[in-house]
Parts: sequence; structure tokens; C-alpha cells
Amino acid sequence: MSESSHDGPHGSSDHHESHGSIGLYLSIFVALCVLTSFSFLTYFPFWRSSVPVGVSRAFMMAVSCTKAMLVIMFFMHLKWEANWKWVLTVPASFMSALLIFALVPDVGLRMRHASHDRMIYAAEVPANEGATLEGSGDDHLHDAQEHLQETPGQSQETHEHDEEVRPAA
Amino acid sequence: MSNDDHDHDSSSGLGHHFEHQPALPISRGKTFMWLFLSTEIMFFAALIGTYIVLRFGAIAWPSTHDVHLAEIWGAVNTFVLICSSVTIVLALEAAKKNNSGLAKGWMLLTLLLGTVFLGIKMYEYGQKFSHGIYPQYPHSGIYEKPDVYYSQAVRKRLGEIKGALQNVEKRTKQQDEKIALIDDISRELVAPAEEALRDHPDAPLGRQLLWKLSDKIYPRASVHEHRGVGHAGHPDHGHPDHGHPDTGNSDAAHRDRRAVGEQSESPFLLANLQDGEETVAGHDASGHLVGLNDQYEWLKLPIMIPGGNMWASTYFLLTGFHALHVVIGLIAFAILLMMTLGKANAGVIENVGLYWHFVDLVWIFLFPLLYLF
Repeated sequence: MSESSHDGPHGSSDHHESHGSIGLYLSIFVALCVLTSFSFLTYFPFWRSSVPVGVSRAFMMAVSCTKAMLVIMFFMHLKWEANWKWVLTVPASFMSALLIFALVPDVGLRMRHASHDRMIYAAEVPANEGATLEGSGDDHLHDAQEHLQETPGQSQETHEHDEEVRPAA
Repeated sequence: MSNDDHDHDSSSGLGHHFEHQPALPISRGKTFMWLFLSTEIMFFAALIGTYIVLRFGAIAWPSTHDVHLAEIWGAVNTFVLICSSVTIVLALEAAKKNNSGLAKGWMLLTLLLGTVFLGIKMYEYGQKFSHGIYPQYPHSGIYEKPDVYYSQAVRKRLGEIKGALQNVEKRTKQQDEKIALIDDISRELVAPAEEALRDHPDAPLGRQLLWKLSDKIYPRASVHEHRGVGHAGHPDHGHPDHGHPDTGNSDAAHRDRRAVGEQSESPFLLANLQDGEETVAGHDASGHLVGLNDQYEWLKLPIMIPGGNMWASTYFLLTGFHALHVVIGLIAFAILLMMTLGKANAGVIENVGLYWHFVDLVWIFLFPLLYLF
């Protein structure tokens, strides 16, 4: 009896108490829109030409995490929930983190090394296609292998900078 | 689920020997929803993690414009989902105040916004499909590199269309023109490349011609932008500084092309295939690159996108699973709309809302990862 009556106040407090006002929700909405437009900024040429790709990716992920936190805290009401929220969210986050960490060796190894067989059957590297077209006569395989020896970040960078010049025209 | 709140409240009065002692001070429906969401977090974390491994481990990955992915639609869809998150929160607030009519209005708006999201997604998928980008083999015509297998596939496809057209008893002028175009493509693009590969297997010329073949069929934005906007914008710009791919290298191929240029004067001819502008692909009014597949939609030739197959697999898997979640959400909204959305059902609205916010959350991460990275 005492236990069952114990959960009464909690349960009702969850449902009958009004946590956020409409104004709060609308300001969260505005914040989310502004944050979305921030990450959309990275699409424009002026951003791509002045901000390194690594920085801009970190920025986008930071923006996404901020938006996610806003949604979880306010729209999903976790800010106002009792301590039970930790019971569910902490193990789930822990398991997700494990899943991601389990992939880290894969990411590291695949980005640093490629076997000879893999290079033979691999797609070509777009960044080097221009050279091929101009008739420099470089072997694709050789190009691709050279490309792999660069650090992945750099190669992505050059590739990314090549994109996104057109929309301005 | 809807009766949970009342069960809690009234159970204290019943007093029979099954004492209800919840582990968490929330309704069973909400407990279930959060448990379900925690499995969903792991599900999408694994999918997104896999995408990151495949994308950054890939030797080649297409740029967004290579695969006709328009960032603006991703951003619009983000906005639509954020709006729908707000409307469902407002529906919950209205229901808590026992204002069923208002709650229904907001719920209907949420349903509409979700439908808009799906509509935009379908339009985007249509864009990919119309360019021959499919996640799976029978439709997918994506080749990873311009090699002999690629030219073979192009030749096979040209042969198929030509065979079908030749079987027609009384051909219209249009059909004759199609056959002539197919002959032109085979003669000007496929044959020189394959002959060069056959005659000089070690020289780069054959591979260059194959590359050109793929570029004519499906010009990729990343390659052409790389050449500079000025050149691409002005087709009659003298001679681009990068020059011809085959000047001096391929006398035979060049002579062939000259000869063809002089002989055939059909109006449908591959204007931009003839000398001068080899490396400058045409643009349509909206600035999109136009290849043979766009110019002549019936061609549907195999296309070459380095890393395109892996891109298609991951893109359709991630967005497809997300879209599936959206569809389930829409079904839930439709069911809710048939109920009275008063105080009694606020718990159900809250649970569906939690689910919907999670769908929004996943898109918040998918948008930059798929469209902007």
C-alpha cells in the first residue's frame, strides 16, 4: 500500500505539472533553426575556401550535438525528469559509445593501410583524374598509392576544396 | 497505455495481493518508450558508425554533386522536422490543458509536416533514380572506374537499344535518329578507346579515352569544378589551359573525329563531343552538368562514379531506415487523430512525441553527415 501510494505523487507530477511554457518551446525552436543555418553555412564557397575541412566538420558535429541536447532536454522533457532518466540514458549512451569505439580500430587501420589487392580493384581517386585527363600519363594505381600515403585528412581537404565552386556562378 | 495513469492512481485503493511497485516512477508506456528509444539509439549509433568507417576508409568517395545530392533539400527537411517537433510539443501542451480541438490541430499539422518530409525525400530519391543511381544491382548502373568492363557495359547497352530499334518494322524519323546517335557514340567514343587499349595496352591513351567516354556520359561536378568555373561557364572560351586530352597523342582517333565531324551533319549530333570543348561539359539553365544520359534520357548508359556504389548503399540504407521511422510516426499520428486528445490521453501523446523527437534527433545527425561532410 505504502509503495503504491508512493508512486502516485511522482507519476502525477510528471503529467500534470506544466514544465515548459510555449514561449520557451518557441525560443528553443528559433535556436534550432539558427543552429541549422549555422551548419548550412559550411555549404557556401566562402566558408569552404576559408575554413579547413577538419575544423568545419568538428563545427558541424558540435552544432549537431548542441541541437540534439536542446531537443533532448526541452522537447523530450529530460531536463525536468526525476533521477530515473539516468537509469535509462546512461547505459544506452554507454552501449552506443562501445559500438562506436569498437569501430575505431577499423577506421584507423582502413585509413592508413590498403593492401595491394585492394588498391588494384579500388576505384580511382577523383583528385588525380585531372592529371590523367591532361595526358600526363601517370598510372592510376601509382597515383592512388601515392594518394594513400598522404594523411587522410589532407587528401580529403584537397578534394573538398575542389567542390562547391559552381553554385556562385 | 492510455489507462496507465489511472491504474496508478486507482491501484492504491484496490489493495489486493499483487502490489504494483514500479521500478521507475513513470507510467509503463513511458518506461517502455524510453527503453525502446535506448535500443534505437544503439541501432542508429551502429548505422552511423558504420557509415563513418566506410566513408572515411573509402579510397574514393563521390562529392555531393557527383551523385545529385542537393544540400538545400536536406536543410529544408531539417527545418520541416524541427517544425514538426515543435507542433507535437504544442499538441501535448494543448492536451494537458484538455483542449482537444487545439491538440488535434497541432497533431494534424505534425502529420502534414511529416508527410512533407517524406515527399521531399521521395523527390530526392527520384532524382537519384533518374540518374541511374540505385542501391542495388539490377537497376544500378554505377561503375567504379573507367576500365574495359565499363566500356563493355556501355557497348552492350548501346547494342541492346540499337537492336530493339532495328527490329521495329516501320521506323519513324526519330527512331532513325536514335540509331544514328548510337552509331555516333560507338564510333566516336567507345571504339577509339577500345582500339587504343587493344593496340597499345601499356600506353595511357586508352585509359584517357575511356575516362573521356565516362565523362561524356555522366560528367561529375567534382571533376569539372576542379577545372574552374570560368571555363565551365563559357563553352566558347578559346582553349582551356589544360588542353586536349588527346592532342598529339591520338592521331588516329583525332582523324576519325574530324572525319565524322565533316560527314555527319544531323541536327541531333553530339555538338559538344566534337573538337574543341572536350573537357568542358555543357550546363543546363540551372547550372547542372549535362551528359549524354541527361541529353538523351532513353540512353540510360552505365555511369562511372568512383565510390558511387558504396555511397549509394550507405545513403539509401541510412535515409531509408530513417524514412521508415518517419512512416511509423505518421501512422501513430493518424491513430492519435482518431482519439480524443484530452487530458486522459496526454500520456500517449507524450510517448508518441518522444518517439518523434528521436526521429528528429537522428536526422539532426544525418543531415550534416550525408549532405555537408
